[in-house]
Amino acid sequence: MPKRKLDPLPAAAFQILLSLAEEDLHGYGIMRQVAEQTGDRVRLGPGTLYSSIQSLLEEKLIEEVAPPENDKAGIQSNTQPDAKSGAKSNEERRRYYRLTGAGRKLARAEAERLADLLRVARAKKILRGDYV
Amino acid sequence: MSEKIYAWLLRLYPSHFRKVYGQEALQLFRDRSRDETGFLPRLRLWCDLLADMVVSIPREYRRAEPAISVARVHSDGLPGFQLLESQAPRPGVLFSALVLTLAGFAAGSFLISYGGSHTNPHFWESKGRAQRPDPTARASSSSSGAPPSAPNSSPQNSTAKAQRTAAQPPAPGHDQLAKLQNDAGAATGNDAQTQTAQPASKSGQSAAQVSAQAKGMTVVAAGTLDATERQRVVQGAVAQLDRYYNYPDIARKVGNALLAHEVHGDNDGPADGRAFAALLNAQMMDVSHDGQLRVVYSKTKLAPEVPGLAAGPSPELLAQYRKTLEENNCFFEKVQILPHNIGYFKLNSLADPAVCGKKAADAMASLNHTDALIFDLRDNTGGYPAMVAMLAGYLFDKPTQLSSIYNRAENSMRDNWTPQPVPGNTLANKPVYILTSGATFSGAEQFSYDLKMLKRATIVGEPTSGRGHIPRARRIDDHFEIRVPDEQTINPVSKTGWDGPGVQPDVRVPAAQALDTALKLAAARLRKR
Repeated sequence: MPKRKLDPLPAAAFQILLSLAEEDLHGYGIMRQVAEQTGDRVRLGPGTLYSSIQSLLEEKLIEEVAPPENDKAGIQSNTQPDAKSGAKSNEERRRYYRLTGAGRKLARAEAERLADLLRVARAKKILRGDYV
Repeated sequence: MSEKIYAWLLRLYPSHFRKVYGQEALQLFRDRSRDETGFLPRLRLWCDLLADMVVSIPREYRRAEPAISVARVHSDGLPGFQLLESQAPRPGVLFSALVLTLAGFAAGSFLISYGGSHTNPHFWESKGRAQRPDPTARASSSSSGAPPSAPNSSPQNSTAKAQRTAAQPPAPGHDQLAKLQNDAGAATGNDAQTQTAQPASKSGQSAAQVSAQAKGMTVVAAGTLDATERQRVVQGAVAQLDRYYNYPDIARKVGNALLAHEVHGDNDGPADGRAFAALLNAQMMDVSHDGQLRVVYSKTKLAPEVPGLAAGPSPELLAQYRKTLEENNCFFEKVQILPHNIGYFKLNSLADPAVCGKKAADAMASLNHTDALIFDLRDNTGGYPAMVAMLAGYLFDKPTQLSSIYNRAENSMRDNWTPQPVPGNTLANKPVYILTSGATFSGAEQFSYDLKMLKRATIVGEPTSGRGHIPRARRIDDHFEIRVPDEQTINPVSKTGWDGPGVQPDVRVPAAQALDTALKLAAARLRKR
């Protein structure tokens, strides 16, 4: 049986899966979402981002979807007004990604694995405090 | 600007990644640089990008390779190629590869053909300036069959060399040698008691004029001749021929022919000495077929002949000859031990032992423990009988008689013996092979002939040029002399010599194949032992 590329799941891939949990996003959206959910500690560069996306696509953990109609406004709200026309022409080339069932399942499994680790860490008094 | 830089940096990624995600990555860069303005955010952006590249580029290449190799491996155990390049080479690439290959091949071929003989032009240049090779040397060497060959070419090249001979001018060193040997009277049996009727250099010069005339080259008008002088020359030539020429009956025929031409008025044409000499030579050649027999005209007055005086070659000529020998390693081209412990000695001259005796002894010593010997005389222009005797001496365990030299005029015989064997010599009972060609000449023929008659060597190759006589210049008058072969070699076994037919090989093969043939014969004989 061939070894799966995403076993163990890299941190970047897990972050991407998490970022897609609530909505479909394009590359830049994923990057911003990841930065947001990690408190700006993880900023995925294009190379890492698309390399991970490629792996996730190959494993069918995410899939490419048509850009949502209503999302254009959302994207443009993130952009500067002066770049509107350029952004619009590029908008059509943006690819959106959606979490698949398998992806969601894997993300959950990974989260549970981390939660287990967390419990162990807490039990060993490595992690103190009341969070999480 | 920065977008262009990043677009350029993106080219570092493998093509499959660029194709699919290149635009996306660029778009992401655009988005970020639009959102992150100011110095510090920009700096952070670039740091992110560079760090990202360092990590992700190798990963992308790692991803590319196994994908391809997996695709090409056959499951049924057949060997498959693993390709790093996913696309076939473009036609342009194939074309430049073809051009480069052809260029390399051509350069290699050129070097093989011409690189090996690079010593020739060098020799020509260095010696040619000081001693320009004149037509005499070439004419005399070609008329007498001496080889126009390169002194330093290897025996393996002999085929190629034979093919080149026609096209290339003969190596001047060898021609000079032939000329020097000729002029110095160093031909077979003639080293010590040469009687040149005049300074040898002068005769060389006049020979040049004759051959130039014979070749139809432009000559400066020389002294004019009248009928009386022409008649005197013809009669003088006939007298000298009759007295000295090795073959009395041919001498008579040639003399009669010359006189007949004179009576018929065939000689009335040329008023020029050189032209007249050339005419006489043509008339003699018709009857004698002996290129060594010829009349020579000298513009300057010839020195008087002193009967009975043993006048050797001039010291200058001897010095020049020795210098040529030293500069060319005595024309000992190759001494080596071939497979099956067969000694191989290629020598293109039998040089004066006074100059080359030590080198010859060294060469033979280095071959002392071989099991068989091959003497390659295919390009040998002859030389000194003393060297013939010296080399032959290594092949016998006691002094052995070689060809004697008979002087017709004096009715005298000079015997020729090999020296006492060198202590420690082990070659006396080893098989010997001698390689010959149509160019093997004079002293080299004596070496071959004597060893063949003594059943001491197997001759492999072609019949030799057949020059067993020694011509000497005889004065006719102040400006004309005739070179008459007046001494001949006589072998004690056969009671004759090789003049005319040459030395007949025991194993007749083209000269180019002689070495291979001899090697096979020697190896077969050594196996039998």
